[in-house]
Amino acid sequence: MNRYLYDGTADGLLSAIAWILEEEPDPEQVALAERKDTLFEDGFFIGTDATQAEALFFRLRKQAPDAAHTLYSFMLAEKEGMESSLLHFLSLAFIHGDKVNGHLTHPAVRDIVGVSKKAGRELHRLKGLLRFEKLQDGAYLAKMEPDHNIIHPLAYHFSRRLRAQHWFLYDVRRRTAARWNQGSLQFGTIEQFTAPALSADEKKVQALWQAFFKTIAIPDRKNPRLQKSNMPMKYWKYLTEKQGE
Amino acid sequence: MDTLSKLQILSGAARYDASCSSSGSKREGPVCGIGNTSSSGICHSWSDDGRCISLLKILLSNDCRYDCAYCVNRSSTAVERASFTAREVVDLTLDFYRRNYIEGLFLSSAVMVSPDHTMERMVSVAETLRTEEQFGGYIHMKIIPGSSSELVRKAGLYADRISVNIELPSQASLQRLAPQKHKDAILAPMTMIGREIASSVVERKANRHAPRFAPAGQSTQMIIGASPETDFQILRLSQGLYKKMNLKRVYYSAYVPVSNDSRLPVLAGPPLLREHRLYQADWLLRFYGFSAEEILSDDAPNLDESFDPKSAWALRHPEFFPVEINRADYGTLLRVPGIGVTSAKRIIAARRFSAITPEGMKKIGVVMKRAKYFITCSGRSFEKSDRPAALLRQQLLLGASSEPTLSTQLVLPGIFS
Ligand code: SF4
Repeated sequence: MNRYLYDGTADGLLSAIAWILEEEPDPEQVALAERKDTLFEDGFFIGTDATQAEALFFRLRKQAPDAAHTLYSFMLAEKEGMESSLLHFLSLAFIHGDKVNGHLTHPAVRDIVGVSKKAGRELHRLKGLLRFEKLQDGAYLAKMEPDHNIIHPLAYHFSRRLRAQHWFLYDVRRRTAARWNQGSLQFGTIEQFTAPALSADEKKVQALWQAFFKTIAIPDRKNPRLQKSNMPMKYWKYLTEKQGE
Repeated sequence: MDTLSKLQILSGAARYDASCSSSGSKREGPVCGIGNTSSSGICHSWSDDGRCISLLKILLSNDCRYDCAYCVNRSSTAVERASFTAREVVDLTLDFYRRNYIEGLFLSSAVMVSPDHTMERMVSVAETLRTEEQFGGYIHMKIIPGSSSELVRKAGLYADRISVNIELPSQASLQRLAPQKHKDAILAPMTMIGREIASSVVERKANRHAPRFAPAGQSTQMIIGASPETDFQILRLSQGLYKKMNLKRVYYSAYVPVSNDSRLPVLAGPPLLREHRLYQADWLLRFYGFSAEEILSDDAPNLDESFDPKSAWALRHPEFFPVEINRADYGTLLRVPGIGVTSAKRIIAARRFSAITPEGMKKIGVVMKRAKYFITCSGRSFEKSDRPAALLRQQLLLGASSEPTLSTQLVLPGIFS
């Protein structure tokens, strides 16, 4: 079995896969891993070529849009150690097209589809669970700590929704931020985050929401277990209605 | 009274309304305004009873002139009364929406002064949101029975979904428990809404700019357990509503005992299990190709307490099984207990590549707990299929009892549909 290495970046991963699909007769027999800088690493290193990576993605999107979507969500998960599975998944995708997503009896397909589904689920969840606070200057800020690196698609979602608003998303753990202002969306990193002051009426609106949240539940039907399974506690930290619990 | 106290009274009064769905409508938001809707619906939180919160669900007022026996807001009880102004509702909706607390507004109301008086105020909330504030989020509005067709039409032009509550499953019960409401006042707007929705769809095919009328369709709700109708009667009613009136959803709301009026049954608590079974049966009507007459009959007019309606049907129809996983079509797969829409689709997708083995079923994520009694994989069966029916019933029950049954009981299926 041939073994290949790449530099650990997303572009590196995709360009290595593009190279292998081109050169290897049977990619399913090939292994791909990240190069760790140990002395006696076994494998042939493939250099990173961003244009190759991009070309691979566009080719896939044309031939198998659903599989391209799976690939996109998979990359949001920032998973390590699944490079060979991704290689095998993509090699099958170019043979079978979109049907590949249904080939769940194949271990590589199952792994990749599984990871991408999880990322997609968290993205969908946070579209609902993200909370904005109004700042003194009239802009809105939402903080989050998602498991997956979903700030891009999430910011896109809110750019369609809160169009007339000036807002920021901030991924606290990755220190990445998105900013929407007057029709343009920007991404960047924030090294030093200082909590900005809230607008004067912010606490009042939060109190209204907290009151609504309390009264809307039917007292005879309390069901904390169901609540937690739908809304895992890891998201409560930034939920306005769960402050002080 | 300040907004906070009003909100507490008027959201408390709205909490028994089951429908919180925000799906079925896809709208791009206006460029200068806020808000869009997405076709799959989004839950923004889950309340302490585990239900999805997606809309700001409130009454405009709980100050009711009517006296429906089953209702907390009926005129003859002594509850605190409150009414919002249209502006208060508009501001709450916008403040919540901008912070991503909600998908939009669900506005209902008790009957203040008269149906038209109430409906006019409700419509003005929607009108202000849409025209003055350029609000593009979701709006669900209840129609007050007896309001003029002009107002109903206006409501449909501003709202994504409108609904008229059928309240009780028969006219006799309506007369007995809600004497001021008349069947015709409920059915007339439902029929009209159905017509308007259908013609708006046709017009929009011809002209993209034709106005949209309630693009997420109409729904209704009825109270379960406050009146003597059987599940069979209820399901046939729903079936008729889906087929003839083109309704998107029928919601069932377990009656919560609120008074000791002698016209009402004495219940220890709301009939939650019955409500849950009705939702399951309703699901079979809408997505699984079952008819009400297959699920129930005059001889067995009520849903089984221990079995979900699909398992109950399967147990009555041993001749239909076992189903061969590698050959059965989609409709047949859906009839297998334990195989839902997702599993059936996965099976069909996976068998394109190779015949599915028993291990393969697990790999693609089909839960075999119940399904295993009813299927074969390339002729191989999982369980001896010659079990007598009584033994099978017992097996299914034992298998099911280790599941945390209570936790699933209150999930309203279809919130994500
Ligand atoms: S009209 Fe509505 S609010 Fe008034 S008593 Fe009847 S059900 Fe209750």
